[in-house]
Parts: sequence; C-alpha cells; structure tokens
Amino acid sequence: MTMRDSRRPGLAVRDADALVFAADMYGVQLDQLAALLGGERPARAAAARWRSLGYAQTARLGPGPPWLWVTRAGLAACGLRYAPAAPALSRLAHIRAVTAARIALEATDAYRRASAFWRCERRLRSRHGVGVRQHLPDAEVHWPDGAPVAWAGECWAVEVELTPKTVARTTAIMREILARTGDYGCAAADAAVPGRPPRHARALYLCSPAALTTVLRSRAELGPRAARIEVRDLPPGALP
Amino acid sequence: MSLGRDGQRSPAPRAAVRRGHARDAARRDRGVLARAAFRLLRLAAVTAVAAALAPVTLAAAGAAAAGWWRGLPPRRLYAAAAWCLPMAAAWLAAVALWPVRASGPPGTGPGPAWFRAAAAPYRAWLAMWRLAGHGHLAAAAVAAAPPAIPLGILAGGLAWAYRLFRMRTGTGGLTPAAPAAFDARLWRRQARSAKALLAAPGALPLLTPNGAVVTGATIRSVRHRAGRRAVIPYARLRSHQVVIGSTGTGKTTLLLRLWAGFMAAGLRRYADGAGPRPLLVVLDCKGGASSRKVADRTRRVLRDAGARSTAIWPDEAALSLWSLPPDRLVTTLLDLIEHGTGGAAYYTDVMEALVTLAVGAPCGPPASSADFLARLDAGWLAAVYGASGDGAAVAAVRSGYRAVEDVKLRFRALWRRLGPALDGGSSFDDADAWYCILEGTAEVAVAEAQARALTDLLAHYAVGGRREILLAVDEFSAVSRRLPIWRLYERARSLGLAVQVSAQSWEGLAGSDDERYRVAATAEGGIWLLRTPRPGPVAELAGMRAYVDTSRRFAGAGAWDDSGSSWSRQAPVLDADIVRRLDVGQAAYVYRGGVTYVQVKRLTGRQAALAPAPARDVAAGRAAGGTPGDTTLPLPSRPARRGYPAAGAARTAGEWPSPAPPDASEVLDEAFGARRD
Repeated sequence: MTMRDSRRPGLAVRDADALVFAADMYGVQLDQLAALLGGERPARAAAARWRSLGYAQTARLGPGPPWLWVTRAGLAACGLRYAPAAPALSRLAHIRAVTAARIALEATDAYRRASAFWRCERRLRSRHGVGVRQHLPDAEVHWPDGAPVAWAGECWAVEVELTPKTVARTTAIMREILARTGDYGCAAADAAVPGRPPRHARALYLCSPAALTTVLRSRAELGPRAARIEVRDLPPGALP
Repeated sequence: MSLGRDGQRSPAPRAAVRRGHARDAARRDRGVLARAAFRLLRLAAVTAVAAALAPVTLAAAGAAAAGWWRGLPPRRLYAAAAWCLPMAAAWLAAVALWPVRASGPPGTGPGPAWFRAAAAPYRAWLAMWRLAGHGHLAAAAVAAAPPAIPLGILAGGLAWAYRLFRMRTGTGGLTPAAPAAFDARLWRRQARSAKALLAAPGALPLLTPNGAVVTGATIRSVRHRAGRRAVIPYARLRSHQVVIGSTGTGKTTLLLRLWAGFMAAGLRRYADGAGPRPLLVVLDCKGGASSRKVADRTRRVLRDAGARSTAIWPDEAALSLWSLPPDRLVTTLLDLIEHGTGGAAYYTDVMEALVTLAVGAPCGPPASSADFLARLDAGWLAAVYGASGDGAAVAAVRSGYRAVEDVKLRFRALWRRLGPALDGGSSFDDADAWYCILEGTAEVAVAEAQARALTDLLAHYAVGGRREILLAVDEFSAVSRRLPIWRLYERARSLGLAVQVSAQSWEGLAGSDDERYRVAATAEGGIWLLRTPRPGPVAELAGMRAYVDTSRRFAGAGAWDDSGSSWSRQAPVLDADIVRRLDVGQAAYVYRGGVTYVQVKRLTGRQAALAPAPARDVAAGRAAGGTPGDTTLPLPSRPARRGYPAAGAARTAGEWPSPAPPDASEVLDEAFGARRD
C-alpha cells in the first residue's frame, strides 16, 4: 500500500494547456490532440497519464479515432466549473469541426502574436442562465487592446455551420449576433441596446460545402451589415 | 246637498253626510286591518316555509349576505349555484344506485331508481329533521346539504337581484334617499372586493390564456359583461384609445399595464405565427425628470413582459432622420423650420428649392446633418450639378445663391437645438419599444420639431408593415401646433398604426373642442377615464340608457308610503359623479355604450437604473472637440460616388470611424483559406 502510494503520480500534469483545451471543447479526438501536442505518441502518453490520474476518460464514441473528455476530477483540477459529461453523440461532428477551427486559428502567427483568447461555447454557456432563449455562438475570439494587429480590441463571434438551416433562421441569427451589445449572461435588457457599440465587431462563419450556399444567401439579406460577416471554409480535417 | 224651504240647510242631510263619513272611515279601517292581517298571514306563511326549509333558508341567507357584503352582481351567485350542480347530480346518482337492502346515507330508500332519485330531496329533508331532533346537528346539515346548497344559493341570488332591482328603480328603502345611500355603500363594498382581488397572489395575470389583456379587477359594470377580472381583447389595443386622468390618479400605472399587455400579447401572437412582432413607441411630450423616471419604470415593466430592449430617446439612443426617402426627407426638413406667410412665402419657396437641390444631389441624399449643412454651399451644388450636366439645377443654384447662407444659418441653428438625437444610426427596427422624451414644457419649439420628425420617421417605418405598432402619445397637445393630433390620427389610421392618446384633462386632449371631440369620437378601442373634474363630454359620448324613476308618496308623520308612480326616462351610461369621486388607481372604461369601472392592477418591474451614455459616443464627442458631456453620435462618412466630391469630406471624414471593420484577411486566409463570396 505504501509502495503504491509512493508510486502514485502527483499533480504534475505536463500538458495542462491541452487538458484545459479538452475541457473547454467538451472533448477531443486523439488525432486532434495529436495535432495539439505535436504527434500521436505524446498524445497517447498524455491521454494515458490523465486517465491514470482520473482526470480524463477515453472511449470510441463514433467512427474515427477515440474521444477523450475530462472528468469531474479533471475539471476540478483545471478550476473549471462545467458540468462533467461525455460529449453528446449527436454533437460529435460539430465538436470536432469547432475544435479543428480553433486549432487552425490558434496556429496562425497573428493569433499568437496578439495573444488572442478563444472563449469557447462551454464557457459562454456556463455564464448563461437556464431557460434564457438567446442564440449562443460556437465561440468568441477576443483580440486584446494594443495587440499588433489592425483589428486589436475586437471581439469576434465564431459560427461553425455543418448542415444548412433555413435562410430566414440563419439571417435572424446573424442579425442577433451583430446587434448584440451585452455579454452573454447579462440582463436581458442589456443584450441589445440601440446606440451602444456592438459586442461583436464581426462574425466568422466557417461552413461545410453543404451549408455554404445558405450562409452566403443569408449574408446577402443583411444589406450593409454584411460587411461584418466573414464566410470561410472549414479547415482540413474538420469533417469526420 | 239639499236645502230647506227657507233656504237653510236641513239637519238631516248633514247627519247623512256624517254617517257616510263614518261608514267610509270604518270601511277604511276594515281595509287597513284586512291588509295588516293579510300581511301577517303572509309573513307567518313565509316564516313557516323558511323554517320548514331551514337548510335552504340558511344557504339563501348566506348567499344574499355574501352578495351584499362583497357587492356581487347576482349573475355571480347564479354561477355559484350552477357550480354546485355536479355535487347534487352525484348525490342523486348515488341515492339512485345505492343497494336497496344496505343502510345508506340520508335520502336513500326503497323503490325503483327513478322514484328514489325523485324522492331523494324529500327523504333527505325528513332525515335532516329526524337527525336534528336527536341532536345530531352536524349530521343533519350534511344530510340536507346536497339539495339545499344549490337551491339556497339560487334563492339568495334571486333575493339579492330583487333587492338591487328595488333600489335601482327607487322603490326600495324606507325613504326616497335610501337608494342613493344604498348605491354609495354598494360602491364602497364593490371597490373593497376589487382591491381584495388585486391583493390575491396570481389572481390577475397580465394575460388570459386566450391572449386578452387583464387590466385589473372589475368594480362595477354597466352594459358590459360583469366578470371578476376586467379584460380587454388584444384587438382593442390595436385600435385608437383615449386616456384622461389628472396627475396622481394612476394614469401612468394604467398606461404601463396597457403597454405591457400589448407587448406580452403581441409577442405571444408573434411566437405563434399569428402576427408580426409588436413595436411600442411612446411620445412623452412633457419632458423633465419625471419623464425619465417613467421611462425607467417602463423599461423594467416591458422587460418583464418579454421585450428584449427598450430604447430611451434621446438620452440613450438616437434615430436617423436621414433614413427617410429623399422626397419625404425634403418635406420633413422644411417642416422642421418655421415659415412665415404673405411676403415671407417667397423665402419659403427659395428654401424649398435649395433644400431639394441639397437632398437630391446626384451623389445621393445626405447621410447626416453635417453632410446636409456642408451641401448648402452654392459652389458645391453648382459643381455637383454641373458635373452631371443638369443645367436647370445649376441655374437654380445661381439664382438662389444669395439665400444659401441664410438657409444654412437657419438649419445650423435648428440642428444645434435638436442635438444629435436625430443623427444616429438606429432605426425603430432595433428595439421592441422606444420611449421618446420630448421637452414640451421647457423647450416647446424644439419638442414640436422633434415630434414632427419622429412621427414622419415612424410613418415611413410603418409603411413596411413589418411590425404591429402602438403609438402612445402623452400630452401631445403641448407639441401639436405644427402637427394637429387629428391629422396624426388619420395618418395613423391609413398606415395601420394604433394611437393611444393620453392627457391630464379633456382640454389637454387637443387644441380646440372640435379636435377633442374628433379624437374622442374615433377612439374605437375605448376611452379610459380616471378621476377628472370634467367628465361631462365623455359621459355625453358614452350615451344614454333607460332608467326607471319612481316617486314616493309622503304619508305624513315622518314616513313615506309604499305607493307612488314610476316612469322610464333616459340617464347617462357613465355616471359623472362617480368619475369625479374615483380613487387612485380606479378607472372607468367606456366602450360601445357601456362602462366598466376598474381597479387597475399595478405592475412592478425589477429595479434597473438608466444606462449611462455609451462610452464610444462620449469619446467620439470629445474627439470632435466637444465637451466631455457632449454625446455626439459618430456620423458615418459617405464615400463620393461616380467622381463627385464628398460633401464636407475635407473637414470631418477622417475623424469619423468607418462602419466596416478593418481587414483581417491576414489571419483568416492563413487559417481557413480565401474568403467565400
């Protein structure tokens, strides 16, 4: 017993950032964790270590590489107050696509140079009251003031579109995002106050080929506000 | 009368007359005695029946007492009796189906089922007396309850209705003054019951399940359906309404209730797909600190009613006058400036020509007041129209170049007074409700111009038909010199807007009596009247109803006889005396020849302070050389088109932030590839 205790791993988590990343994104697939940690071998080692600490669980939830998600103990170790749960089967494709988008954006020079911050949907949702009917973006990207980029100080909304919605619904979501003035979780009356500066300087739509046409048509419905909508393809490897 | 031969009265006829009088007196005495005996007999019979049917009598007395104590209309007692019928039916069914040999509850007995059901009340009655005789009073009451309670409540309702009828027609009470005193007491009890309903938690929700708006508890109704709750359908809020009430009578409470009801019902209809999204626009024409407080309260109440955002104009949000189409913009700009008549009409024409040229320039309409003022430059106008080859316009500019500076001076003064509130980038589309504060008391001329501009903007917005709009104007007469309210009414009617006009008095409704009658007579959604010293005109509009008036014969020695005569005559539906005595929070709702007196339920929203001015606007104002408190909204620069010079570009375009965000292709292209268009 004493021997086992002495051999028990301590709290020295070598890849703490990756653990927080996995917690923020609801879960990651091992190939994406490998992209994050620089190879498959470090990814498997990190997963094994987290598992042995009780910080993470892995399982094959769907086609493709196994999924890893952070347990209650792991969330507590990270200081995150999310409700612990395995990634929902219905959202696996969406989670993978958002994770791929984050990895692609965080890999850019401008992102690292500006020390930008990815505020994930799980974090937004944790601030959000239960039963409040507001649309939540898939993420926000905060660019600090004074960063060496032209868009310093901006906050972007990120939307990942895999399947097409109706044009009307997509347009309504775009309008809501662009008109929003308050943070998520603020009083309903402060959510969209005319005259105040908008919360999101622009909205970044990352689309699958299937959803691209709908998003472009919805953007065309916005008139002058369309200048604040950026539409791009999903990065490679985002689709399962 | 007979006379004797000597012409004197003979004693015999006098004796005959005396005998006749004596016979008449005796006959009269006998009649009085007979009537008294008959009444005694009738009273004895009624007492005997009441005693025999003691349970029914007790229930009737209780029901009548409840009706008296709470001032209930008899219909409510009839409804209560009807609600007891299932109990009676279940009891009859149980009695009919009870096994014959088993000892059953009171009312059961032998016989076929139909006979047992028919005889059940009688058997229950017998059982009740038997149990009472043995001292089992509780069991006796239970035995008689199923048939006695509905019958008793029905009888009590009939008795209460008879009492009300006697008092209403003036035939009840000991003296002719009794009906008036009875009515005053009845009003007090009815008001007390209404207040009790207001205090009951959950008794008065904002909306009924079918989407009608609950305004409060009914005190009394005349020619309207008498329910506990005063309910008006949503469609009536979509019609013109008038609200009149002095300061401190609860007018704001009533208006907030109506606005919140409109918003909640409209949003429910919108969610159901039954109509477009609602929009409430309030023009508070008083201004000052009190209007700000009401605006804050309105925001809180509307937020609880489901409104996402309430914009307070001009304190927190600004509208853009420049979103009007060019022809409408020219008219509105000209209306903002006061014109003279007679010889001054010449200058009016010159001004109109120059404003038309500035707005209709080939590079497009102006985007801001600064842009517009920059265009009032003879050189710029001549250059722009010359470049487009419009010789007639160039000639017009040349002929009016002497007046350009004067016109510019007048508009510069106008915009200085108006401030930035009509120079912003928002539209009515950006909020669920707009509370517009016009300083009609402190700065009448400015408020008049603002009212004119706001109504033009709203009319232009309403043409799109995207929202169901309620325009509420308070004390509009303070700013209606240039836009008569009846014209606003007619314009709103043609655009499908509902207008709700509120004022502190009949005189405050409009400038002249003709306009006041025109406004009140076209209020299809009804007229709300709170305490006001002059309800006469509205009472006249409310109409008349048939009324039974009764005279009573004075029988001498301090008592009035119960004989007299009644006749029908016309009386006003709306009792002006009641309106003059209404308490705080009480209102009379006049609609279609009927009136309902309502105790309005107050709405309280969660506490929320007025939001401070946007930091970006303050910073922009400071950057433009203004004082720190000068919250000038940033004006977007309009790029020059087709090679024409941009008006004012040399002075200000560099200072204005561009609405388009800076190019971020560097990072996006690297991460996600090229932009998709």
